Amino acid sequence: MTSIAIPRPAYAERPRVLDWLMTVDHKKLGILYLYTTLFFFAVGGILALLVRAQLAVADNTFVNNDAYNQIFTMHASAMLFLFIIPVWAGFGNYIVPLQIGAADMAFPRINALSFWLIPPAGLLMFSGFLFGGAADVGWTAYSPLARSSGVGLDLWIISVIILGVSSTIGAANFMVTMFRMRAPGMTMFRMPIFCWTMLVTAVLQLLATPVLASALAMLYIDRNFGGSFFDPNGGGNAILWQNIFWFYSHPAVYIMILPGMGIISEVLPVFARKPLFGYKAFVFATMGIGGLGFSVWAHHMFTTGAVLKPWFGFMTFMIGVPTGVKMFNWLGTLWRGSITFEAPMLFALGFLSMFLIGGINGTFSAAVPVDFAIHDTYFVVAHIHYVLFGGAVFAVFAGLYYWFPKIWGRRLDERLARIHFALQFIGFNLAFFPMHLLGLDGMPRRIATYSESSGWETLNLISTIGAFLIGVAMIPFIINVVMAFLRPKDQPNDPWEANTLEWWTTSPPPVHNFDSLPEVHSERPLWDLRHGKAAH
Amino acid sequence: MAAHAVATQERQGLSNGMLGFILFLASEVMFFGGLFAAYFIARADAREWPPVYLLTPEQVAAGVKLEVEFWLPFIATLILVTSSVTIQFAVFSIQRGNRSGLIRWTFVSIILGLVFLVMQVYDYSQLHFGVGDTIYGTTFYTMTGFHGLHVLGGVIFMGIVLARSLAGQFTAANHEAVEACSFYWHFVDVVWIALFTTLYIIP
Amino acid sequence: MPSTGKVRVIRRVHLLISAALLALASISPAFAGWGMPEPITDQAKRIQDLWVFTLIIALAVFFAVEGALVYAIIRYRKRGDGLPKQTHGSTALEVVWTAIPVLIVITLFSYSFIVLRDVEKEAPADALSIEVNGFQFSWEFTYDLARLGRGEAPAKDGTFSIIGTAAQEPTFVIPVGEPVEFRLKSNDVIHSFYVPNFHYKLDVVPGRDNRFVITANQTGEFTGQCAELCGINHALMRFHLRVVERAEFDRWVAEQVASKATVRQP
Repeated sequence: MTSIAIPRPAYAERPRVLDWLMTVDHKKLGILYLYTTLFFFAVGGILALLVRAQLAVADNTFVNNDAYNQIFTMHASAMLFLFIIPVWAGFGNYIVPLQIGAADMAFPRINALSFWLIPPAGLLMFSGFLFGGAADVGWTAYSPLARSSGVGLDLWIISVIILGVSSTIGAANFMVTMFRMRAPGMTMFRMPIFCWTMLVTAVLQLLATPVLASALAMLYIDRNFGGSFFDPNGGGNAILWQNIFWFYSHPAVYIMILPGMGIISEVLPVFARKPLFGYKAFVFATMGIGGLGFSVWAHHMFTTGAVLKPWFGFMTFMIGVPTGVKMFNWLGTLWRGSITFEAPMLFALGFLSMFLIGGINGTFSAAVPVDFAIHDTYFVVAHIHYVLFGGAVFAVFAGLYYWFPKIWGRRLDERLARIHFALQFIGFNLAFFPMHLLGLDGMPRRIATYSESSGWETLNLISTIGAFLIGVAMIPFIINVVMAFLRPKDQPNDPWEANTLEWWTTSPPPVHNFDSLPEVHSERPLWDLRHGKAAH
Repeated sequence: MAAHAVATQERQGLSNGMLGFILFLASEVMFFGGLFAAYFIARADAREWPPVYLLTPEQVAAGVKLEVEFWLPFIATLILVTSSVTIQFAVFSIQRGNRSGLIRWTFVSIILGLVFLVMQVYDYSQLHFGVGDTIYGTTFYTMTGFHGLHVLGGVIFMGIVLARSLAGQFTAANHEAVEACSFYWHFVDVVWIALFTTLYIIP
Repeated sequence: MPSTGKVRVIRRVHLLISAALLALASISPAFAGWGMPEPITDQAKRIQDLWVFTLIIALAVFFAVEGALVYAIIRYRKRGDGLPKQTHGSTALEVVWTAIPVLIVITLFSYSFIVLRDVEKEAPADALSIEVNGFQFSWEFTYDLARLGRGEAPAKDGTFSIIGTAAQEPTFVIPVGEPVEFRLKSNDVIHSFYVPNFHYKLDVVPGRDNRFVITANQTGEFTGQCAELCGINHALMRFHLRVVERAEFDRWVAEQVASKATVRQP
């Protein structure tokens, strides 16, 4: 066996701030992504608490109806466009090149551009608050309502287009990186599962995001140049927006959850000390979800009366099949394992138990007549939060706790992490489980207030308490991170006894990532090295 | 310890840059796909096309007519198709190491692209409807407008290629930007043919 | 002082339990119909049956998978340094747990398809037909005197309307036991006509002729509201519905015709 040293490039020394501003290093960009998106997570979270404060009691006047519409719109916009979607690009940026044994992304400068589009777009979106009101028509911006909303919505449209450009070019970058820059021996079917989910996500982004851009362009033309795309009086179609919007936004739901599934699929094998059960089945299920994702958009539109209900109902049910396959494979991974409960594993198990609910309560919308009852009620709000918080956010924290020693070279405290997990788990369920009952009882989503006679007060109060408990849960997390930064960088290459190549190099890795690479014979090269191929 | 150490793998076929560029073009196809979808949904909704029944009396009084000219855009189409051929000649030239051919054909393509743009602007000025005149005007100007912006982008792209050609940056072995530019220009051309067929030919 | 501490703990537990019971008691009406409010139409009854069927399957899946997860977490926690057996998967299992969901999905789809077909039947020609006009931010319910359904036809033609405002929520009336058609109209933005006790909502879309039929099976007063964000006072777009016997409905119509300035001759 020969060992070829990778030549070390020479680095020009720059002042530290300038270095962060001008970097094209995927690791630094990944960290910038994470900081930026977590900032918007905090902003979106504060907006969520304002929403919950308003809904805590009946006939509340804590915020007025106008402000309420802006607050929930910006909550969702920040969480979806500025947190969940780009946070995966952040993890992907840092982790994907390391996991495939590459020195960087395929296009480092385009990578930098992808990131630097995000902060100005975020500021633009929020600047609406300074110019007479932010966007206030929901993150779905349904037309014709959105045709006549204030200037905040124009800023929102431009911002979302910019974010779309960011994620589209980012997607192309990820695809080329994974197609072309894998380490010797790493075939596509030896690629870590997180990379696979990032790859499918990238395909969805590349194909779906431009369609959203076209819809946003149409909306902008309607609003500013007298266009008639969504105006029935001019021959346009009020449902057209929903068709095009959901053609993007349903795949976007998978854009928001697939990389989270990937992180879970990295964490479970490490802490159960077994390989991922059914690796290939998992890959095919991921592709299946991605493919089906393009054929279910109209299940958001059953109550418009303008879509082919049986077809979209059936396809929506079908999405449950590959999702179920994933669930069973995760269970199969745990089965007869040797499980320990470090912080990443706690959040991964939290993901499994909560995403299960988010998967199951989504099937009710596939039963079209039941959807007539629950559509646009708090039941749907419960569903998306079980998927995007119980799923995606738990996965974000699983990923943060898992890769923190790699990215920052420092240790996080396990006790604080356990407190964080317990508070978040309880707070999450308190906040979102009651929403199922509220929705069934007829509470529509997006209402700024409800009357006392509705009987919705108790459950709403419980939900609000839960939401604030989630807020409290962030305190031990922040303390934990701050304390970690006061500790020395003492983490070994592979503190978890993990499987994939990012744990081969130092923590944090050098600028060029690897001084050498091991041979790759399976999807678990480091396991093979530790235990020999016999144990495989 | 067995250890390989290779930073990246060089493979046969498309370079990373070209692969990335083709993926970018795929996203562009989806963008125009959204616009086409909007157009065909509008046509499916309409009782007749052009939807003259939607015009208000004020619009009729102001002289709005939902009609397009055929021959001028047809000539413009021929020009754009020709420019697709000439940019391909530019690629063939540099593949053989012929730099002056590259410069000549790129220059011709730029001129043809500019002529197309001028003809489109002139065509706009001759029409008796605006972007606000029913869904017909909205879809027409949106689709041709976004295409026009792409033509402009392509002309700028070719301008950069021309400048780099004049600086002698391309060789028979190294001329990826020229090929990328030609891909882009062919894409713009194909979109126009689809647009021309949809907006000017389908009754 | 261990005993005082113990008392304090017991007192706290008591407090917690009574608080939990109180909370349960206050939400217990929600559990009566498996979470759904009382169905007051034949169609709603069908939808609720589908809901209950789907919910039972969902709960079975939930408890099976969540149970297996909890079992695995407890049973297979690390007990020694020995490596677990490295199983990479099983094609047979993958086939099984693909096939079982497919069967469940086909069952659910078939049942929901049948219910969908039944609840979306067209209105019979002699049904009472009400035009519902959603606007920012209330509702207008227009009755056509020529389409009042199966009662005695009033002597004259024309229409009358119940018009609400965000401050003055409108109340409209329908008869029990016969089909009633709603034709939904909007001239501004999309609204959604939603009566929770119908277990049904349908969007009110500008430029679209959306309509649906229900047959109420009990009398009473119910509320509904707009379910599609439609602007600043979306939350206030509530309305009320009285379901009454036919005779009372006819009396109500007569009163409206007599008192309404909005009755228009065609």
